[in-house]
Amino acid sequence: MSLPEINTKIQETAKRLLKEGKAEVVIGYRQGTAPMTVAPHFARTEDDCNQLVWSNFAKINLATYLPKFPGKVALIAKGCDARSAVGQVVESQIARENLYIVGVACNGMVDVELIQAKEPRPVFTAEEDMATIKLSGEGWSTSLTKDDVLRRACKTCVCRTPKDIADELIGAETPALSPDDYADLKALAAKSPEEKMAYFKGLVKDCLRCYACRNACPLCYCPVCFVDETRPQWLGKSQDEMDTFTFHILRAFHCSGRCTSCGSCEAVCPMDIKLREFNRILEEEVQRDWQYVPGLNWEQKPPLTTYRPDDEAEFIK
Amino acid sequence: MAEYIVKENALRNFFQALTEGGQRTLLAPAKVGDKLQMVECEADKITLDFANTHQSPKSAFFPQTQKLMAFHKDTSKSDPFVYKPLGLDNMKPTVLFGIRPCDAKGLVVADKVFQNNRFTDPYWKTAYESSIKIGLACTAPGPNCFCTGVGGSPFSETGLDALAYVKDGGLAIKAITADAEEFLKGLSGVEAAEVAGEMAELKKAVEAKMPGPIDMAKVASGEILDIFNQPHWKDTADRCLNCGTCTFVCPTCHCFDIQDEQNEKGGVRMRNWDTCMSWIYTVHGTGHNPRPTKTERMRQRFMHKLKYIPMKQDGDCGCIGCGRCVTLCPVNIDIREVAKQMNG
Repeated sequence: MSLPEINTKIQETAKRLLKEGKAEVVIGYRQGTAPMTVAPHFARTEDDCNQLVWSNFAKINLATYLPKFPGKVALIAKGCDARSAVGQVVESQIARENLYIVGVACNGMVDVELIQAKEPRPVFTAEEDMATIKLSGEGWSTSLTKDDVLRRACKTCVCRTPKDIADELIGAETPALSPDDYADLKALAAKSPEEKMAYFKGLVKDCLRCYACRNACPLCYCPVCFVDETRPQWLGKSQDEMDTFTFHILRAFHCSGRCTSCGSCEAVCPMDIKLREFNRILEEEVQRDWQYVPGLNWEQKPPLTTYRPDDEAEFIK
Repeated sequence: MAEYIVKENALRNFFQALTEGGQRTLLAPAKVGDKLQMVECEADKITLDFANTHQSPKSAFFPQTQKLMAFHKDTSKSDPFVYKPLGLDNMKPTVLFGIRPCDAKGLVVADKVFQNNRFTDPYWKTAYESSIKIGLACTAPGPNCFCTGVGGSPFSETGLDALAYVKDGGLAIKAITADAEEFLKGLSGVEAAEVAGEMAELKKAVEAKMPGPIDMAKVASGEILDIFNQPHWKDTADRCLNCGTCTFVCPTCHCFDIQDEQNEKGGVRMRNWDTCMSWIYTVHGTGHNPRPTKTERMRQRFMHKLKYIPMKQDGDCGCIGCGRCVTLCPVNIDIREVAKQMNG
């Protein structure tokens, strides 16, 4: 399906769902006001529905919004959005009967940082279809192949077509990709603790503590995040290296076995920090030890939130 | 005021000379990793070809973390547990080269917050007033630039000591303050020239390519509560994540949080950037929060920029149109759109 065809389909579906009372609001995207942007869009009327679009420039995972909406919500979902929504149901943050997933067969989102590395000239307009991104500025224009500027997370997506978890699907199934082989992590694991520490500190050295990663994360729904607690205050507020580092390490642990690798955290980071490096290590361990991939199943609980009397670990008995 | 040129082959010497033999710290646009930032840098790392620095230059005078005072716990000395100011008597003056006119104007907005008839912040004052700011006018504004929409200009002189533009690979410079004239005239590579005419022409040409003024007449004349209670806030807040990106990259956002930290030897009092997007920014000791949801928090930022600051600063807008928040907001909340909605 072409982008305009998908857009038409999304708009028709959204209108139908509102009319049938399956949803009070349809959450998707609309065109952004600046080049290479889209805005999350909350469609409640027919006019609102006409603004819904599909785009390669989506940044955040739309499931992030779900725990805040009390009523019936339909989600125009990429595979990762759908997986995160499933995760929220499994973790009892939203009710299954209030959620309607309109899955869209997705072939990945682009990384604006990567685009700007390839094309540093100021971009005044961006046009897109499912395979190419056409950019132009003052007196120039160029065309990039979408696959060359895909987000890292999208290159190893295990759920490009959320056909098993969506309530309905738009678009033909997208060919599956090989999942993350974590090859680089094996090299990292072989390093000394000092080298690993230097590597991880290097990753977050530019962190501003703006918490965009946390706030854009569909897993970070805690009413009060540990970094914001004051009685006691667990963490310093300055740019102290250890405080910043602790925030990222702890957040990664909180997300272990729950993270769907949507890459929302990396996409929103104003400093382009490779935040998924923390999560991938834990993701790999959870997959290895419990054969668990989050967000693909409505029943199975994340391994780190469950207890089994026959657990093989000694300390838990 | 005097006008000068610096030829392309004299640029390196000129940039080196800006430190006055190491008396000043030179901050200029240079690559840090893959981002262009306003940073302390070597003369040969400075770039002249850019739209704007990734972050605003406010951290030159208002660092994200600033240690304000410190105490020690050594009871064998005379003054244990007594806070003493840090850094005020040995602050090295800076020279900022290549600051964009929008950002210089942004620093003026912040300056009026840190120094006014009610308060003077000694840390800001010492750093800001001793610095020399040489602006670099924009001849190729970026896609999200709108200084002209909020009363600025790509050639604005507000807050600057001198304004330069790139001419034949080198620089043309106009001194704005007497201090700058004194500072520039003896520097290596600087030659007297007449550039004001060409500068005025360029200003006109670049401004013509930029957006027209954003109409905020009704925001200015309207009652605070009427704007406060407009229905659009809730719609925009739907998608706001309440992250601090917009506030941290904004050249005029100036809010901070004071924190004390100590160990067995002593302690420091520091200030860290804070953000009104965070619920903890306003929560009271009682647990009551006067800005309980993200709608109130998001509204505050725009009310502050577009209504409260103009009320307090003789009509000058609190947004200077650098476009950083427009570029970096993860959910495309665009201050230009919000301004239109507020103006109803």
